[in-house]
Amino acid sequence: MPVIVVLLVVGALVDPVFLTVGNLTNVLQQQSALALVVLAEAMILIAGKFDLSLESTVGMAPAITVLVIPASAGQGAGNTGLLAIPLCLLIGAAIGAFNGFLILKFQLSAFVVTLAMLIVVHGLHLGLTGGKSLFELPESIIYLGGATWLGVPASIWIAGALFAAGIVGLGYFRAGRALYAIGGNADAARAAGIRVDRVVWTVFIIGGTLAALAGVLETGRLGGISANQGVGWIFMVFAAAVIGGVSMDGGKGTILGALTGVLVIGLVENVLTLKGVPGEWKQLVYGGIILVALMISRVAGGKAQD
Amino acid sequence: MRFGPVVAGAALLTIITACGSTTEDAATTGGSGSAGGTASGGKVGIDLPRADSDFWNSYSKYVPQMAAELSVDLMNPTNSQNDVAKLVANTQALVSQGAKVIVMAPQDTGAIASTLQQLENKKIPVVSVDTRPDKGNVYMVVRADNKAYGTKACEFLGEKLGGKGKVVQLMGALSSINGRDRAEAFRECMKAKFPGITVFDEPTEWEGSKAASMLQTRLEQNPDIKGVYLHAGGVHLAPTLQVLKAKGLLVQPDDPKHVFVVSNDGIPQEFDAIRKGEIDATVSQPADLYAKYALFYAKAAAEGKAFQPGPTDHDSTIISLPNGLEDQLPAPLVTKENVDDKNLWGNQVQ
Repeated sequence: MPVIVVLLVVGALVDPVFLTVGNLTNVLQQQSALALVVLAEAMILIAGKFDLSLESTVGMAPAITVLVIPASAGQGAGNTGLLAIPLCLLIGAAIGAFNGFLILKFQLSAFVVTLAMLIVVHGLHLGLTGGKSLFELPESIIYLGGATWLGVPASIWIAGALFAAGIVGLGYFRAGRALYAIGGNADAARAAGIRVDRVVWTVFIIGGTLAALAGVLETGRLGGISANQGVGWIFMVFAAAVIGGVSMDGGKGTILGALTGVLVIGLVENVLTLKGVPGEWKQLVYGGIILVALMISRVAGGKAQD
Repeated sequence: MRFGPVVAGAALLTIITACGSTTEDAATTGGSGSAGGTASGGKVGIDLPRADSDFWNSYSKYVPQMAAELSVDLMNPTNSQNDVAKLVANTQALVSQGAKVIVMAPQDTGAIASTLQQLENKKIPVVSVDTRPDKGNVYMVVRADNKAYGTKACEFLGEKLGGKGKVVQLMGALSSINGRDRAEAFRECMKAKFPGITVFDEPTEWEGSKAASMLQTRLEQNPDIKGVYLHAGGVHLAPTLQVLKAKGLLVQPDDPKHVFVVSNDGIPQEFDAIRKGEIDATVSQPADLYAKYALFYAKAAAEGKAFQPGPTDHDSTIISLPNGLEDQLPAPLVTKENVDDKNLWGNQVQ
């Protein structure tokens, strides 16, 4: 939170456009897809696991959907058009379920399994699309990422609603609280009667589904699916989660915190673009600011990060 | 682990056998290909730089086709996935399989130097496509003049805007020589010929997501931006159109709200957008000529021919580099007037 205040002040000093409603709405819209992946990763981290493959799902799930559903079907608003998004989410859920299977039933390391799945899922995307960017997509898959509801982009409503559900779910519901118990000490949670494997598996499936939805929003925002969609996101996802106070060891952190982490990343990008930082130096400045943000949230939070 | 080691072993075995059979198939097709042509001079090994870009996918489709036309004894292409370490390993594998000439497209132009040195020691000539290695001798560089892309885009935008206003340049990765050449040439030309135009540089790292965010933010800050230069249509076109559409700026060229867009690459989607009046021009990077002349020079190298700097028979010029020669292929500017030209490679792919 204090980081956001600092950024808002700095941004306002850098450029008068920064604090306008239009600009801030843009930032929220630009971050909405990333935000959903951060929400997914935060839940998985709190449950004490890892999922690196989410970034590949962001590109792969919508790409496969577009390949399966022909472009003409979307225009007539026929049955196939309506199926596009459910199909995409199902692909994401299936990837999450498969990750869960390998980690829980096969008892492999979550880190290495999902690292391999990151490559497998992205490889599947490249292989099936032949490495081509997909253009002129059916309206059914573009709609959510580009539509405006009540004057605000639909993607902001969706991300907002899901974060609200996440905050309430993890804060007040038994199933949500169980994630903290499992992440803190899985054996103790099991002894306390929590069905650990079932809960964790569910979290992986939800995570994959959220990543697929992020893919839908991103596809709509960009109007096409490049072969690299989602690639490299996972660094930002972890940075956002940790800035927001989510522990890499599990059991600690909040969804609200993760949301602030996403906003920090988005505001930093925005300020750098408005300022016109030269390309050669942008990565250094960006990485540096993320480090400073980590330090501020560490000092303000008072607890050691791990 | 509840699954026995037997299961795991069996699974591994299946994977290995499966792999084995594909290599065998590939080897057979490669063999029959070479039997068909009247190849001379020796086998040509080729490494493709990446499998995730529209331009390079078109190039890789032209390679076997051109090899058949020129009757080059082509080995199965390898792919280095934009990773110089893989390129080095692939080159070694191709050489040990008997390649007499290597065609490569090193995306990292510095780190390939010692490999070029090793190939030279083995007397294996190298044709470098699209990029010019910083060090190490090459037989020929086959490349379009990327500075000319930037200059052509600048001249087109400058004239359309009447020498004043604001333009955005969506740049590629600055670690690639092609991205740098385009950016510098565009900037220098604007400074020299159209000093009244303000240029905003956006370092998009060839990423559509960053391009969309940066363009959207810049338009919010400067709603009077009238021109955009895209370094790569493959990644920048869809996001640019989407941002302009959301802002209500995707209108025909005769509308005063029109934002002039010049792209780079020459893929079919850019041609469609030009026909619809959504963008105004693109510089066609000749994927077909890249493949054709890469193999042409590879064959010539295998036959021991030598070339001199100067104009060629295919509208290009060979220039002399400290470490070899470079054939600078022509890259035409495509506008509404010539977008239906059958000779453009973007009109030949399906």
